[in-house]
Amino acid sequence: MARPRAAPYVFVAPFVAIFLAFSVYPLVFTARLSLTNWRGVGDPMWVGWDNYAYLLTNDRFWSSLWNSAVLWVLIVPVQLVVGVIVAVLLNSAKLQLRGMYRVAFIVPFVMPLVAVAQIWVVLFDEGYGAVNSLLGSVGLPNVGWLTTGTWAKPTLALLFLWKTTGFIVIIMLSGLQSIDSVLYESASLDGASWSRQLRSITVPLIRRTIMFVVVLQTLAVFQMFAEPFVVTQGGPYSSTTTAGYFLYNHINRADLGTGAANSLLLVVLVMALSLMFVRMLRVEDGS
Amino acid sequence: MTRTPRTAQTAKPTGARRLTSGHFGRTLAIQAFLMLLLVAFLAPVVWAILSSLKPANDIIRAPLVFDPSSFSLDNYTAMFEDVPIVRGFGNTGVVLVFKGAITMFFAPLAAYGFAKYDFRGKNAIFGMVLITLMLPTIVLIIPLLLEMKTLGWVNTYQGLILVGAIDAFAIFWMRQVISSVPDELLDAARVDGCSEFGIYWRVIVPIIRPALAGLAVLTIMNIYNDFVWPVVIASSDQRATLQVVLSTLAQNITGNRIGADYATVTGELLAASSVALIPLLILFVLLQRHFINGILAGSVKG
Repeated sequence: MARPRAAPYVFVAPFVAIFLAFSVYPLVFTARLSLTNWRGVGDPMWVGWDNYAYLLTNDRFWSSLWNSAVLWVLIVPVQLVVGVIVAVLLNSAKLQLRGMYRVAFIVPFVMPLVAVAQIWVVLFDEGYGAVNSLLGSVGLPNVGWLTTGTWAKPTLALLFLWKTTGFIVIIMLSGLQSIDSVLYESASLDGASWSRQLRSITVPLIRRTIMFVVVLQTLAVFQMFAEPFVVTQGGPYSSTTTAGYFLYNHINRADLGTGAANSLLLVVLVMALSLMFVRMLRVEDGS
Repeated sequence: MTRTPRTAQTAKPTGARRLTSGHFGRTLAIQAFLMLLLVAFLAPVVWAILSSLKPANDIIRAPLVFDPSSFSLDNYTAMFEDVPIVRGFGNTGVVLVFKGAITMFFAPLAAYGFAKYDFRGKNAIFGMVLITLMLPTIVLIIPLLLEMKTLGWVNTYQGLILVGAIDAFAIFWMRQVISSVPDELLDAARVDGCSEFGIYWRVIVPIIRPALAGLAVLTIMNIYNDFVWPVVIASSDQRATLQVVLSTLAQNITGNRIGADYATVTGELLAASSVALIPLLILFVLLQRHFINGILAGSVKG
């Protein structure tokens, strides 16, 4: 049946207009901007690769990447292990209260991050927080969760884990649903233990889901911004100045050329990391 | 179908094993572990809401004690005086209505165009959707801010609403949903003299209503919780969204209440956070099925 030719163009036109105005134009602009020195007023001054050279030799740029890398190590492996195990437990039809767990675990993910971050500030206060009060009740000393370089990163990592692990569980669950339950049944008949089944059936068969989670969370961790902005303002001693927060500081100082260069470097880095993880898991697929 | 009898056979030994005491112990351990996790996931939210209803001094003196007889709304009264949270709600409301409406109307419409028509340039244009999906937000922030300055849109509703309107993921998801609607239905409507938009409005929309409900919930959640773009584009008091207001609570409180001590600030901070949590919490309790559908669909966008 003949369909009018103009109709589909009309339907997609609003999206295309917004895409050109607020994605293509700024993207082209950002590349040019990164080669200039500009403070938001007057004419941008052409400086070639200077912004990149400046960043790549700047200790604070590298330490922002390092801080994000440490957070990545504190977050992603923990989240994968907990995510897979909890999803496997919730996937069992015999489990009592299954629906309740599924709903309760997703609550943190639904809550606004900024509000939760504010609650974190109060909960983990060194002198008056509920966490230290709880530790004190079993005789443990107060910990400077947000005031010491040692603990600030783990405390932020905990916030991130608390906020998103339920979401990861849901993703893993959707991956598990594609596994044929016959595999488990024959494995238990052969006497394979629970952990053996996890290693030999579950993990290999949801490798694509795991890969997806790793890429998703790598992007999220390196862009982490609201957590340090609200909870620690990047401190103490810049120990929680993440890559995302460092980038924001360029905007704050109206150092836009450097900021543009920084954002492009960061994108190249996260893209490269994502590609590397995809490759790693592909190679294992082949063996 | 051939595997049904096998399943029935294998189910027996597993069922028999359930009766052993070792299995009972394991079930108990699993329940204990999940229950512990549940408490950990809910405790911060519950603690914050309950604490916000205590006298400010008690929050810091005895953070773990809840005495119903000392129930108090003082933190809320003080917070509404010191924090422009009503204005924050108002701004978020405006953005929610307009940005939400734009996404809910134009994204499924574009998805319909992609799913049910062949037209020149379709693949290229759909490529734009995929690029938007994969592009990290941070690359665009600085040039977008400059674009907003040129347009005079800093601290305006236009800036908050139009940037990121017509969510690419919504198009991607709805395209999958609409693809599964049989073409015969559309052709039948066409024979009956329905216009192309009429087909979308009278045939497609009613069929995909459940997915639209999931999309609506996901859209509300994303817009309500959005922070990075609003804090860059609308940091003025006049246009600050709820999340932006929340992000600078301590400054707001100490700025408006000279000499406020730590207890006062903490009490107001928890009151403000609770006020921000509760609308979503209620929405979630009422529409949890749509939330989980929306989040699940949202998770497979890779």
